[in-house]
Amino acid sequence: MFEKFKELLKEEMRCERKELPKGIKMQVESFNLWYGKTQAIKSVNMDLKENKITAIIGPSGCGKSTLIRGLNRMNDTISSVKTEGKVWLDGFNIYDSTTDCVDVRRQVGMVFQKPNPFPFSIADNIYYGCEVNGMKVEKDEVVERCLKQSALWDEVKDRLDENALSLSGGQQQRLCIARALATEPEVILMDEPCSALDPIATAKIEDLIDELKNHYTVVIVTHNMQQAARVSDYTAYMYLGELIEFGDTTQIFENPQENSTEKYITGRFG
Amino acid sequence: MNIRKLISLWIFTVSTVVAILGFWALATRMDVEYWMFFVALTLISASYYLSGIYHHMTEKDMNGVFMLFYASIVLMVAAFSFYLPEILDMRQWEINARIPNFFFYSLSMLFLGIFSSYLSFRPFYNFKKEGAQMGAYYMLYITMIFTLIPLFVILFNIVYRGAGGITWEFLTEDIISMGERGGVYPAILGTLALILVTAVIVLPLGVGTAIYLAEYARKGLAVRVIRTAVNILQGTPSIVHGLFGYAFFVLILFDGQKCLLAGALTLAILTLPIVIRSAEEALNAVPGDLRDASLALGASKWQTIKKVVLPPSLPGILTGTVLGLGRAAGETAPIMFTAVYFSGAGTPSSLLRPIQALPYHLLSLYRLIGYRDVDLQAWATALLLLIIVLGVNVSAIIIREKYRQRF
Repeated sequence: MFEKFKELLKEEMRCERKELPKGIKMQVESFNLWYGKTQAIKSVNMDLKENKITAIIGPSGCGKSTLIRGLNRMNDTISSVKTEGKVWLDGFNIYDSTTDCVDVRRQVGMVFQKPNPFPFSIADNIYYGCEVNGMKVEKDEVVERCLKQSALWDEVKDRLDENALSLSGGQQQRLCIARALATEPEVILMDEPCSALDPIATAKIEDLIDELKNHYTVVIVTHNMQQAARVSDYTAYMYLGELIEFGDTTQIFENPQENSTEKYITGRFG
Repeated sequence: MNIRKLISLWIFTVSTVVAILGFWALATRMDVEYWMFFVALTLISASYYLSGIYHHMTEKDMNGVFMLFYASIVLMVAAFSFYLPEILDMRQWEINARIPNFFFYSLSMLFLGIFSSYLSFRPFYNFKKEGAQMGAYYMLYITMIFTLIPLFVILFNIVYRGAGGITWEFLTEDIISMGERGGVYPAILGTLALILVTAVIVLPLGVGTAIYLAEYARKGLAVRVIRTAVNILQGTPSIVHGLFGYAFFVLILFDGQKCLLAGALTLAILTLPIVIRSAEEALNAVPGDLRDASLALGASKWQTIKKVVLPPSLPGILTGTVLGLGRAAGETAPIMFTAVYFSGAGTPSSLLRPIQALPYHLLSLYRLIGYRDVDLQAWATALLLLIIVLGVNVSAIIIREKYRQRF
């Protein structure tokens, strides 16, 4: 009987696995999401390719931010949210009952719309992720690596102990990216990372995103179609919670298959 | 400066003098004779008339001036009707030529002065909109002054009467013969001990509840019930707290023995709502962005609260707690039945022994006035209590200013 009980426990802990095709880092499979009774995401299917940049575009309120927050379970913090469907990350379903969502968020980093550094020193900001995840790493090394990766090192190397809030908006946003890199994530989600920044800071962040592609899989939500065309390899167009079209960025912008996509891209609505 | 401005200034000056006179008469119970009121009214209206401002006034301004006179007349009638029976009696009228009714006349003069000085703003600014605006500022300023007056009167009174009683002996000696001689040393120590023990009890309870309400609880019925309960607790009269403390802590927990701990527990219940509210406000002031950022880095909720939310809200929490303790330090009713003896308790030696405290000592001194010569001691005790409560509040302000964090 004891054996049977152990068997049952094992069964409980066994999580579903799925072999993803080569080159695909994340796969969204018939994903639905509700805020209370309103459905915000309607059975979305999407593949995110490894070491590529995927942009999600669409008019306001189409669910693109909600979708990207669904990729690292940030929606769990809102109590009225219900989800259905699967999101595979390297063969594991992040919505499986055995998955720890805190663990998911370490592997899938996120950068937000408004720069939101902690009111700590610059170095502490970056080390925070390592600290809370109990990573055994040398603080100075991590700080230097992340700041170099986010092209901020030269600007702040002499004032690592200063409060991060003393940086400019663009620097703060790059610090937020550097902070996300510290936990050694595999995927980085960016929710309109440039919408609060001026053109020069935006250009710097875009260069940075291009750099990051070599090591990470990047998903970026943007309101700015030129930006999507400039930085991304793949583009997804969403409208009213549905994924209307997904494909190569050049194909989406030059030869959209759907009528609605074409209308949005040519600026006839949205 | 044109002539109209000069005239407006003149009206403003006269009105202000009338207002100050009225206030002074009110404050010192000076006998204002009714003809003084008429003199003021005549002076102001004559100023208006002579100034020729009438010719430039719009209908609205004229209405203002008329309203002023109507109001004055209504006040006058009220004043007279108060003494109507005596006034109607001619024999009485002879005797009461000087009507000893300082209240109505001084109040009328006060209102008359304030209102007519307010009216002088529009001509001063050449009847432009700016004048109406400055007049409104002036009225708000007057309101502010009137809220400050009681504060300064109380402060001045207590310092003036009590400062003489504060001597080294008063601060360091035992209470002898119910406070008639000796000092209030045990009461000072008792009050400080009460504050300290209350802080130790209330801080973990209040902050814990606030963290639960602000961070963990789902917005729903349960949270609303808790909030309402906290509000009701805050609105409960302190004497009820005291009686509850006696019925529960003293009689049930401590076997009928009044003690420091029972008093501190009662005061903790009294301060709990203040601490919970201020802590919750401080926690809610931390931007949600920071919580999201922390969670997105793989921190758990508790790690987020510990490292990101609590540090910047700590000054706010401490300020609220200290303000609550300041309130507790001055309370009499909650400790009356639970912690204090009116004499003979000595310096606080144990959590389970009764103590003496300043507010209660003040009450017992007040009861002695008329039987024993304790006036000076009572005022000095009041001053001392005021200094302690003020000191607590000032330390709260210092904490807030020093560690305030901006996002």
